[in-house]
Amino acid sequence: MNKISRRRFLITTGGLAGILASGIPPARGQQREISYLCWNNFAPASDKKLAAIGQRFTKDTGIKIRIDHIAHPQQAAKYASEVQTQAGHDLVEMRMHFPWLYEPQLVDLSDLVKELEKKHGPALSSARETAMVKGVWRAVPQYRTFFVACYREDLFKKAGLKIPDTWEDLYTAGKELKKMGHPVGIPIAQNYDTISTAGPVLWSLGGKEVEKDGKTVAIGGPQTVEMVEWYKKMYRDCMEPEVLSWTDASNNDSLVAGKAGWIHNPVSAYLTARNRKMETAAGINHHRSLAGPNGQRHETDVPRHIGIWKFSKNIEPAKEWIRYLLGRREVYDEYVMSGDAFNLPAYTSLVDHPVLKTDPKFAALRQEGVQFHCYGWPAPASDKIQLITNSFILPNMIAKAVTGTSTKEAIAWGANEMKRILAG
Amino acid sequence: MATADAGVIVAAPRPRFRLRLRLREWLNREEVLGPLFVTPALLLLLVLVAYPFCMAVYFSLSDAFIGRPSQFIGIRNFVNLWESDAFRQTFQNAFVFTSIAIAFKLVLGITLALLLNQQLWFKRWIRGAVLLPWVIPTALSTLGWWWMFNSLYSVVNWTGIALELMDPPGPNWLGQKYYAMTAVIVVNIWRGLPFFAITILAGLMAIPKELYEAAEADGAGPVRRFWYITLPLLKPVLGIVILFSTIFTFSEFNIVYVLTNGGPINSTHLFATLARQVGLETGRIGEGAAISLYLFPVLMFVVWAQLKSVRKEVL
Repeated sequence: MNKISRRRFLITTGGLAGILASGIPPARGQQREISYLCWNNFAPASDKKLAAIGQRFTKDTGIKIRIDHIAHPQQAAKYASEVQTQAGHDLVEMRMHFPWLYEPQLVDLSDLVKELEKKHGPALSSARETAMVKGVWRAVPQYRTFFVACYREDLFKKAGLKIPDTWEDLYTAGKELKKMGHPVGIPIAQNYDTISTAGPVLWSLGGKEVEKDGKTVAIGGPQTVEMVEWYKKMYRDCMEPEVLSWTDASNNDSLVAGKAGWIHNPVSAYLTARNRKMETAAGINHHRSLAGPNGQRHETDVPRHIGIWKFSKNIEPAKEWIRYLLGRREVYDEYVMSGDAFNLPAYTSLVDHPVLKTDPKFAALRQEGVQFHCYGWPAPASDKIQLITNSFILPNMIAKAVTGTSTKEAIAWGANEMKRILAG
Repeated sequence: MATADAGVIVAAPRPRFRLRLRLREWLNREEVLGPLFVTPALLLLLVLVAYPFCMAVYFSLSDAFIGRPSQFIGIRNFVNLWESDAFRQTFQNAFVFTSIAIAFKLVLGITLALLLNQQLWFKRWIRGAVLLPWVIPTALSTLGWWWMFNSLYSVVNWTGIALELMDPPGPNWLGQKYYAMTAVIVVNIWRGLPFFAITILAGLMAIPKELYEAAEADGAGPVRRFWYITLPLLKPVLGIVILFSTIFTFSEFNIVYVLTNGGPINSTHLFATLARQVGLETGRIGEGAAISLYLFPVLMFVVWAQLKSVRKEVL
């Protein structure tokens, strides 16, 4: 054993005490390492690609990156605990309105978004509405996933049905589909897919949940009545009661398993059938989102962003990662391609991305003439709008109406619940 | 070195040894050693129970929002909650869910314990197997139940239809409010039954056999033996089991979260699931904490009353 001299002992312990007191490691020991928390993507290949890009990033920049994944229902709880304890990951993936909820805890990333917009064009409006909080970009738009009409083309052809162009056309086709044993699959349950369909139906009829001021409840007008009545006849003539118990994945399952003839969902249902080489894959196709009586087409968009916590001690290396992933066109393209059109670019110049040409069934994803919005539109994002969404008021209002409560009563219930939240 | 009165030379303890001796004497005193043993447990309780509880109480009395400074608002959260239809529904659900689940667990638990107390083949194996639902992680086993009740693949409905007990397509287990409540109660009973059965079994085994023999000699039948010997002597155990189960069942989370997420139309929401929805998913932790603590006074009263009655029984 080597003898330690008194001088060496004093130098070592003194140095250690200094490091512990200041909390700053010596330059020689400073390992640039960042951690990134994101969801388990519904296109799993893109998670694998993300890991591969992460490894290349470490090689090219010397910054180590640890990428963790969690299921999306767990994200809110995890983020809440990280914020409350002021400890956790440096970067976090944020869905839709998350930047509004965690605004005071997120680093201003406006400079970074400006750089990206110079390269890829302005961020899409849905990304801007959700990641820019009071004029400041609190997260960087990463990609988007939108809803589209997914249908069994083979069944439509077999029955000689016209591909629907409006929600009313869907009712006509839906009646035939149900008779064929392949009902329409629109969930009416406490899940987000229900809101993703109810929103576009209401918007295309000219209605909304809350006014643009974010304070006035807009539910209750003739458009709401029209929407509820449409749901009632759809439920009665085109669907089965099982939609009342569905989760976010149930409509996918139903289409892929060969039961549903039409669903409203992102492209993930088709991807599952195709990638698992299921029988139904050949028969599934997509068509443009449906219009209301005035020809307006509105659709739910789910933009995702990357944010950096203010408590992070690695803000600059974290920005480096965002620049590497989203700022380098070839890397961003590679990442988008791996998502098989589930993860589409969030910037205007890249809307017509080559990924849309990789499968003829992605043609409808161009969605010409469709306006994209997030939950609660046109009201600005806030915790109250988020509570209206998370309390599933719109789905429950519809569920009440289709299960026996009168339209008037169900709408009055929904309006009252929303008023209570907005007043609170 | 010291000299004793009788002229015997006694070695005086060295200072280090003297210190150890004094420490030992000090530790031998009950008033010192007792608190010393209790301190680690107390510290754990303070850090893991008292601190979070006090934080929750503070949150419930504030407008706390995740990551933002909060203000004290008194009982406004509690008052506002009562105006919410979803909360009132949750309140009702909690009582319906808890009372029905506990009643079934109690009756079935006593029955199962009586069966397990008989001379059976493979008694140890059977007792082990009975514990399985309680040992398996709840989220995992509930996923199995979810699959069984799932509208597309329901094995329950498939079996019922195959046996001509149900008309196709069978009940919409998770989509209609009464069926959904039945489903979550069934799973809760399935999971909680082993706790009742095994604890009651321990109580049964502690009842002296002589009492039964004497009663039998006096001509008492099985029902009278159960009514006049088993049940009175089981009362303290039953009190404790019901007390624990009331608290666990009121605060149930996993089963509802996995099976129904509180639906349909909030008809299966319990305090824990609603608190998560409001507190964590929406960030309103003040309101979320108020939902969690709403029943605290009621549960405190239940605990006090139960413990008092158990103590009376024991004395």
